[in-house]
Amino acid sequence: MKKRTADAIVIGGGIIGAATGYYLAKQGLKVILLERNFPCAGSTGRCIGGIRAQFTHDLTIRVMLKSIKMFMELDSELGEDIEWYAGGYLFLAFDEERKKSFLQAIEIQRRYGLKVDFISPDECARIVPGLNQEGLLGGAWCPTDGQANPFKVTYGYLKGMERLGSKVITDSEVKRINIQGDKVVSVVTQTGDEFYAPVVLNAAGPWAEGVAQLAGVFLPVKPDRHEALVTEAVERCLEPMLVDYRSDGCYFVQHYKTGHFIGCYTPVPIVPGDRIDASDEFITEMPRRMVRLLPKLASVKVLRQWAGSYEMSPDGNPICGRTPVEGFYVAAGMSGHGFMFGPALGYLMAELITTGKSSIDISEFRLDRSFAKAEAMK
Amino acid sequence: MKRSKRPVIVCRCEEITEDEVRRAIKRGYYSLEEIKRVLRTGMGHCGGRGCLKIIARLIEEETGIPVAKQRFPCSRPPLKPLALGLLASYKYEEKNG
Ligand SMILES: Cc1cc2nc3c(=O)[nH]c(=O)nc-3n(C[C@H](O)[C@H](O)[C@H](O)COP(=O)(O)OP(=O)(O)OC[C@H]3O[C@@H](n4cnc5c(N)ncnc54)[C@H](O)[C@@H]3O)c2cc1C
Repeated sequence: MKKRTADAIVIGGGIIGAATGYYLAKQGLKVILLERNFPCAGSTGRCIGGIRAQFTHDLTIRVMLKSIKMFMELDSELGEDIEWYAGGYLFLAFDEERKKSFLQAIEIQRRYGLKVDFISPDECARIVPGLNQEGLLGGAWCPTDGQANPFKVTYGYLKGMERLGSKVITDSEVKRINIQGDKVVSVVTQTGDEFYAPVVLNAAGPWAEGVAQLAGVFLPVKPDRHEALVTEAVERCLEPMLVDYRSDGCYFVQHYKTGHFIGCYTPVPIVPGDRIDASDEFITEMPRRMVRLLPKLASVKVLRQWAGSYEMSPDGNPICGRTPVEGFYVAAGMSGHGFMFGPALGYLMAELITTGKSSIDISEFRLDRSFAKAEAMK
Repeated sequence: MKRSKRPVIVCRCEEITEDEVRRAIKRGYYSLEEIKRVLRTGMGHCGGRGCLKIIARLIEEETGIPVAKQRFPCSRPPLKPLALGLLASYKYEEKNG
C-alpha cells in the first residue's frame, strides 16, 4: 500500500477530469488523476461528439462560446489532431410551438454575438441536400457549431498532463475520501493506496453522486440511458449535426473526415439508472427516424449500437464548484453536454481552484443553487 | 526467411498496420480498449473479429502482458452490418407486442 502526495487529485478520466487536470497542471499544480477503468470508459467514450453554443441559459451560452474558441485552438495546444470541424448545427422545427421557442432562444443567443438564424425549409434543404421537408416549418441554424473526436480530445489532455509532470493512474477506483474537521485530506483506492492532497475534484460523471457520498456530500446527479449507433463510412453528404426534437425525433452527424454517421435520441419516457445495455427497440427505431429525415441514407449500413449515460442535474445545467467540504470540488451533472463543455469548464474550474475565482463567473452552476430554471434546449 | 518490407495490415477494415499498432503501444496505450479508441481497430465492418487477437499478441510482445490477462472489448450488435432502410422496415412493436 503506497502513500503519495499531490497538489490536487482528480477523480475520473473522462473529458471533465482530463481537461480540468490538464489546466490545473498548466497552472503549475502537481496533479494525480485516478480513473477506475481506463480513460473514456464512462460517458465520454460513448458520446457522439457534438459541440454547440445554441442553448437558452445565458451562462451556458457564454461557456460554450469560450469552449468553441478553445476547440478551434486545441490542435496546437495539445499537439494532437482533435478533429474539430465547424459543420454547424441545424435544429428542425415541425410545429409552431417549437418554432416559437427557437425564435426566443435565438434572441438570447444573439445577445452574445452568436451567428444564428431561423431559416426556411428550402434553406434547410440547401444545407442538408435530400432533407425530407414534410411538415417542416424551418430550422435554427448556427454555422459555427461543430464536432470533434472525444477520444482524441480526452487523450490529448491526459498526455498533456503527463508532459507537464502530472500523473494519470488507471485501474484505480476511489473507495474512500478522508476528511478531517471540514477539510478533505486524502482518498483511498481499491488497492489500499492513499493519495493526499488539499484539493480533490469529483469528476466521476454518471457516478458522481456516489463519489460525493464518500465525502458525505449530497449531489443530485442521476444517470439515464442514452443509446447510439454508428454506420459505415460513406462519401460526405451531411455537413451539420441535424437535430429533430420531436418525441420520435433523433440527432445525428456525419464525421467530416471518416464519413461515418453517428447519432442517438432521447427516449420517451427516459430510462433511469446506470444500465447501459443496447436495446432491440433502438436499433429499429433509430434507423426509422434517420431515414425519415434523410431518405437517401436507406442503403447505408449500421456497424454498431451501444449505450451510455447522460448525467442529469435537476435543471439540466452542470454542477460546478465548491462543496460543503473544504477542498472537495465537483464538476459533474453535465446533463448530456459534458464533452462540449469540457475545455471551457475544465479551464474555469482550474482557475476557480487555484485562484478562488474564474474569469467567467460560474457561480450560477454552484451546488447550493435552487435548480429552478431549466435548460430548454436539452 | 527475409521479412517483407511492405507494411503488414493487422486491421483490414480500418487499414491499420502492425507498425502503427506497435507505435501506439510504445506511446503508452497498453490495452485493446485504448488502442481501439485511438486507432479505430475493431470499429470497422468486422467488429474486431479479425484484428483483436493479433493486436493482443502485439501487446503481449511489447509489454509482456499475456493475452489471457488482457481485457477484450465487448462485441456490439448487429453481428453483421445491416442497412438503415432494412432495419427501419422491421416492426419492432408488432413482433414483440
Ligand atoms: C449516447 C450519448 C451521446 C452523447 N452526445 C454528446 C454530444 O454530442 N456532445 C456532448 O457534449 N456530450 C454528449 N454526451 C454527453 C457526454 O458524453 C457526457 O456529458 C460527458 O462525457 C461527461 O464527461 P465526464 O468526464 O463528466 O464523465 P465520464 O466520461 O463518465 O467520466 C467519468 C469517469 O469517472 C470514472 N469513475 C467513476 N467512479 C470512479 C471512482 N470511484 N474512482 C475513479 N474513477 C471513477 C469512470 O470510470 C469514468 O471514466 C453524450 C452522451 C451519450 C451517452
